[in-house]
Order: sequence, then structure tokens, then C-alpha cells
Amino acid sequence: MRKILLFLLALLPALSFAQGFQVNLEGQKQIGMGHTGTGLLQDGASVFFNPGAMAMLPQNYIQGGISPLIFKSVFNPSGSNDQFYTKNKIATPFSFYAVWGPKSNWWKFGVGVYTPFGGLTDWGNQWQGKYALESLNLKAIYIQPTLSIKLADFVSIGGGFVYNIGSVDLTRAIPVSDANGNDGQARLKGTGHGYGWNAGVFFKTESGITVGIDYRSKVNTTIKNGNAIFGVAPSLAANFPQPNTFTASIPLPSTTSLGFGFYPSKRWTLAADVNYVHWSVYKVLAFDYAQNTATLQDTYSPRNYKDAVSLRGGAQYAASDKLFLRAGGGYATTAVLDGYVTPEAPDANRYYFTGGLGYKLASRLDLDVSFEYEKLLSRTQTNIESQLSGTFKTHVYIPGVSLAYHW
Amino acid sequence: MKNFKLYLYILLLTGLYACKPSVQTPAPSHGSADFSRYISVGNSLTAGYADGGLYLEGQQNSYPSIIAKQMASVGGGSFTQPLFADAQANGSGYLQLTGFTATGSPITASVTTNLAVTGQTAIPGFGNVITYAKYTGTDLNNYGVPGIKLLHVTLASYGNLNGFYERLLTGAEGTHNTAYLDFITAKPFTFFSNWLGNNDALGYATSGGAGDLLTDKGTFATLYSTVMTRLTASGQKGVVATIPDVTSIPYFNTVTVAAILAGVQKANPAVQALFINAKSDATAAGTTYAARPATANDLIVLTFPTAKIGTLVSTPAGMLPYGLTPYSPIENQYVLDANEVALTKDYVIAYNNTIKSVAASKNIAVNDMYTFLNNLKAHGLVVDGVSLSSAYISGGIFSLDGVHLTPRGYSVVANEFIKAINTQYGSNIPLANVANYRGVKFP
Repeated sequence: MRKILLFLLALLPALSFAQGFQVNLEGQKQIGMGHTGTGLLQDGASVFFNPGAMAMLPQNYIQGGISPLIFKSVFNPSGSNDQFYTKNKIATPFSFYAVWGPKSNWWKFGVGVYTPFGGLTDWGNQWQGKYALESLNLKAIYIQPTLSIKLADFVSIGGGFVYNIGSVDLTRAIPVSDANGNDGQARLKGTGHGYGWNAGVFFKTESGITVGIDYRSKVNTTIKNGNAIFGVAPSLAANFPQPNTFTASIPLPSTTSLGFGFYPSKRWTLAADVNYVHWSVYKVLAFDYAQNTATLQDTYSPRNYKDAVSLRGGAQYAASDKLFLRAGGGYATTAVLDGYVTPEAPDANRYYFTGGLGYKLASRLDLDVSFEYEKLLSRTQTNIESQLSGTFKTHVYIPGVSLAYHW
Repeated sequence: MKNFKLYLYILLLTGLYACKPSVQTPAPSHGSADFSRYISVGNSLTAGYADGGLYLEGQQNSYPSIIAKQMASVGGGSFTQPLFADAQANGSGYLQLTGFTATGSPITASVTTNLAVTGQTAIPGFGNVITYAKYTGTDLNNYGVPGIKLLHVTLASYGNLNGFYERLLTGAEGTHNTAYLDFITAKPFTFFSNWLGNNDALGYATSGGAGDLLTDKGTFATLYSTVMTRLTASGQKGVVATIPDVTSIPYFNTVTVAAILAGVQKANPAVQALFINAKSDATAAGTTYAARPATANDLIVLTFPTAKIGTLVSTPAGMLPYGLTPYSPIENQYVLDANEVALTKDYVIAYNNTIKSVAASKNIAVNDMYTFLNNLKAHGLVVDGVSLSSAYISGGIFSLDGVHLTPRGYSVVANEFIKAINTQYGSNIPLANVANYRGVKFP
């Protein structure tokens, strides 16, 4: 008669996307200049930054780059001196572009494969927030075939179709102990896909300033039949049926960009970009399990993100015919309202500085290296769902290298 | 040029590991308190009693030991507990969860190996007292004694009546004459916690109002003053805790009248009510009991053997089903009936008024566990992604006996003490990480 009918646990698979998951590493030349490029004609990365600019590119390109990213976050629980760190793990955002068109013709075709969203966070299984999150590995790879057309000498347009391959692998502890006092473990692992598009327009004005406008659409990514793996004490196994699957849908937000290029002298290129990221599409995170129990309910967690803005600026100096020096920086506002900050990507307003070098290894081969340092302003928060309370502070270090062949 | 870039690249990469972010935390401060020798005074909750017994793991996760650990950074000294030896780690024995029945009821079993029990001694005029392996260490900071009431603290012979106290004393069982209050104040200390008084109400309540008495309110007030005067005799600072409303614990809220009745009605839909032997008034002096139908305001104890319901028992009116007729009511010791609940609540409120006013008069911090546990019962509590409540087993706070706490529950309590201390003395003892402490163990 001592009935324990319900084991109501805080089992809310809180997977939250945030500004922290937007990976702004889509080309080494552009990263060096503060990740500007919507209003510039730099190289094949225009496939991402502004498909409208592609037809104006003077050459054809094949290029690839990688930006190993180290995300170093610290959490200091409220009222405590403890400092919990994320583990040293290196994520590998990459970009690959190919752009081709007949010489001096009115069109160009391109394809891009790049990683505009992702995250790799591993807090380990000993930290204070382990019941909110242990680790998360999230990837979105966009594949984008693109066509660009020069309408006149001063204006071109372009657009591409986006196919997204997304994957998620999340682990967290479940607050029920087994006979040895160890926590239960939950792991959600799955892949999904989604569709979208990317279109832009590019102008060369009479004053010599170049202007680009780009819109990358929302990509609704649905993870269907992902594996929901639960490890709990045997007497509780019935509460967490195995095997089980989950379905979740996550909108990757659209981004509107406006960019300018200025050319004060032959050696100098200056660029400025404004991005508006429509994070407000991210209202809720819903998880639908194939098999529910009293303990394992479908969840519906409010996220209520707000739109975010980032401002960027950068410069390139041609030190010689072969060597280019680049520098830039920017500021991005957070999409996450107070009370919704989670350890997946402890989001906050952030600023960043970048630097880069470009070197022509041969007349047709560019080597570019970049480095970016991002600093997320510290944010002291109590999450309304988990009540995890404390201060997050994050530094991100991103070296990068790319090779571009052009003809 | 190439070498230069390579060099730059290596430089950048090595730089990464040097620049870990860190959060500035306030400099550790003990405020106006001195934590160098902290002693804890209290009963089973202070001793780390859990799952119906005192055993090593419970002792190691007692709230005073957690507080002491957290005090280390603000000038806290070593903290010694009367731990059971590893070979006798199961102490007095305790309950373990072994599984669930098909209907979801928990099955528990007693741990009976590796006990520290040394025997049983008959104490004239009292009865048998179980004795335990003596604690032989010279240092002692945790003076928690399971079972002790405030009423007992000046009783010189108490060492002979309580095996858990006896094991802390030198000398043979039957010969002790050190009152608890003299024992805890024998060595100098700089800071204390005092959570005495629970058993003065709980003993009455858990016996269904049948096996024990409530300590007189006036006696409680006098003794509490005496204890606090002694504990602060050399200007020591400390913290006291109020006594929980006994009805806020799962011991009284898990086996409910409605649940039992529903079970009976499943087999026999004609049954209208359970009958209990209930107290006729809410005064301490009243001794009249009479059978009446049970209501939701009558609390059935967790240990009630529900299988008894409906079994035929002999009554003056013949053989009748237990608990289902006014002639065969559920016995008094299994029910804290509405009048007994009211009486207990009234006493607990009076005790707590004493605790708060004595503490205020001596400028001592108060951890209001009465309010905290009532809030826990009413609203639950979410800490670091863990949903806690005062539900039995699933709530995470209370151990299998429904009265004492799990390590996780004790860590939550330790944090409440720490908050009260920090507020009163301007110290900043860091809070304990609740996620590091377990709830109920599931097989």
C-alpha cells in the first residue's frame, strides 16, 4: 500500500540553441577581417556570405578551410567558490566552396559545404550542473548549390538551395542513484535534416563602395527516431523503457546581413557588416518520446529567444603583392533572455577580435590563416527550469587555415 | 615567411591553454564568527541517522560534517565524528530498498551484517538497552545522539538509557553519570549548531500519540534556555534550527486513509469508511479515545502493516474485520488522529517560539527548518536540475524511514544552516554542491 505511483523527476532534455551555436567561421580571409564579407568580393566564400556577389568574382575558385575551435567555459555556482570548467575539446568547423563560370560571362555556378551551427561542450559528469547537461555535440552541415547572375556591370544577384544534415549527441545525468550510489545516465543521439535557401544581391556603386545584402533562410531541422538511451538502476528500468526513440524539431534561424566594402587606397580594404539573426523563431523545445511512462513524459520547454544583432568591422592591408594582413572585430548581442541561460552554450553578449594573414604561395594558390578570440561577457543567472544558479564566463579561441586555388 | 607563420601558429595554440576564464569570487571571510572549533549538538538528524538506522555512510554525510567541510575555507578546523569502524560500517543496521511490488509499492529489507551492536543490557526500572561498539577517539565534534530529547540533556543517568550516547562515554554500561549537557561542554569550542527538540514532539507523533509524551512547553523553554546559556557561556556564536512540523514528513503522508480505503473498496465496494481509535479532544491532558470513521485529517504512520486491514479480529461484538467497524478500529499507535495532529502542531509552534526568542536574545543565527520543510511539502524544490519534494522515496530528500534524510537531503539542510550563519555573522561559507550527494539508492 505504500504506493510510489509516480517518479516525477526533472527529466527535461533541455537542448537549447543559442547565439553560441551560430558558428561564424565561414572563410579564413573573412574571419581575419572580423568575419565581414557580405559586401566584398574576396573569394569563393561568397557562396555563403552573399551568393549575389558570386557572378562578380573575377576568377573561379576551389577552396577549403578548417577552424579548430576551443570553447572554454567556466561556471561558478552562486554562493560557492567552486569553478567548473568545460573539458578541452576541439570542434572542427570547416568550409568548402567551389565557384565556376565561363570567363567574363554573366553567370557563375557554385557549391558550398559549411557548418553555420554547431557546438561541442563537455562539462563532465562531476560538475554541479550534471543533471542539466554533461556534454553536447551538435553539428549542422549545410550543402548549398548556388547560381549567380550579373544583371549589369554594377549589380548581380544569386541564390542557392540549402540542405542541412544535422546531428545531436547529448548526455546528462538522471538524479536517481543505483545501489552503488551512481547517477542514472541519459543520452539522446540522432541525426536529422532540413531545407532552406540563401539569396543575395551585390552592388558596385559609382563612389566605389560595394554593398551586399543577403538573406539566409530559417532551416527547420527535424530529428526523427533519434536514440533515447537511458541507463538507470534495474528496479527503475520500467520507468525508462528501452529501446526508445525521440523526435525533436529545431528551427535554425534565418539571418539577414547588410555589408559594405570601402577601398580608400589600392592597398586598403575596409569592410563593415550588420547581421540580424531571427532567433525569435525559437520559442519552445519539444521532445516527443516514442514510449512514454509516468516518469518519461514528452517535454515542452519554453525558450522564448529574442532576435540578436551582430556588428562587425574589418580591414585588409596588402603589404605586398603576395602578403596580406588582416584585422577585425565585432560585437554580438545574446538571443537568450535572463532565466533561460543553459550550460549547452552559456550565452551572453560577446565581443571578439580577429587577425589574419594571407600569402600567395603561387599565382593561383592562396594560403590564409586566421585567428579569432571571442569573449563572452560573464553572466550570472538562475535558470528558471533547472534552478541552476551561478555565473558563466566563456572564452573561445579559434585558429584557422585555408587553401584556395583560383584561375 | 613560412617559418614565421608556423611560429605564430604554435604561439597562438600554446596561448590557448594559458587563458582559461575564471570568475572572481569574494575573498573568504568568517565574518564575526570563529569556526576554528565547531561542535554540533542534536539528535539523530545531527548524527546522520538515515534509513531507520545509524551507519557509516549516513554519518559521513551528516549535515554537520557537510557544514564543517564547507567551513574549511573560512577558518574552520578539523571535524571529528564518532564514525563506526569499516568492519562495523552498518552500525545499528538500516533499511535497504530491494525492489517494488507489481503495484509499485517499495519492498525494503534490513541490513543485518557488519553491525556495531555489542549486546543488550537490562537497565533496572527502564528495560533493555542495545549497546554499540564504543567510539574510542579523543577528538569529537559531532555530538548528535539519535533519540535524545531536549528533556534528557540534564539527566545524569541518560548514558545508561541510550546506546548511541553510551558509545561516546568511557566506562561500562550501567555506570554512566554524565549528563549530555555536561558532556558536550566539557571541551572548549568556538562555534556550535544546536538542533535539539525534534524528539520532544516526534516521539509522541511517530507512536501515533500512544507510546510517548510531548515534553511540557514550560519545561522545554527552561531547558532550551539552560542549553543555550551553557553553549554561549564563553561568548561562542552558533546557529540553532527550529523543529519541523511533524506532519511535513513522509512518515505521515505516504500511507493515507484514502489510499487504504481505495484498496479495500477494490475488493469490497460496499465498504464506506475506515475506523480508527481517535483521541476525543486536542488537549494534552485528555485521555479519552473512541472509535470513529477516519478522515483525510487523520495521518496513518508509514510503518502501518496494511495487510491487517479486514482480517478478522476478536472484539466484544464477536469476530469482526480489522479497521472496518467501530468495534474493530485501527489501533491508536498506527494513527496520529486529527486531534493528536492539532495537539502536536500546537506544541511544535510553542517550542519554535521558544527557540527563536532564546536565539534572538543571544544574537544567535536561526535556521528555520519548520518553514523550510513546510515550503518543501507545499511547493517542492528544484536545485541544480534536480526536482526535490517531501514525497517518500521519489522526493529525494527523505530516506527510507520517512523521517530522516538522504545524503542529498542532508546537503540541502546543511546549505540552509550555512545561509543562516552567513546572514547572521557576515561570513561567506561556500554552499555545498547538492548534486554531489545521492538520494535514495535504487537496486
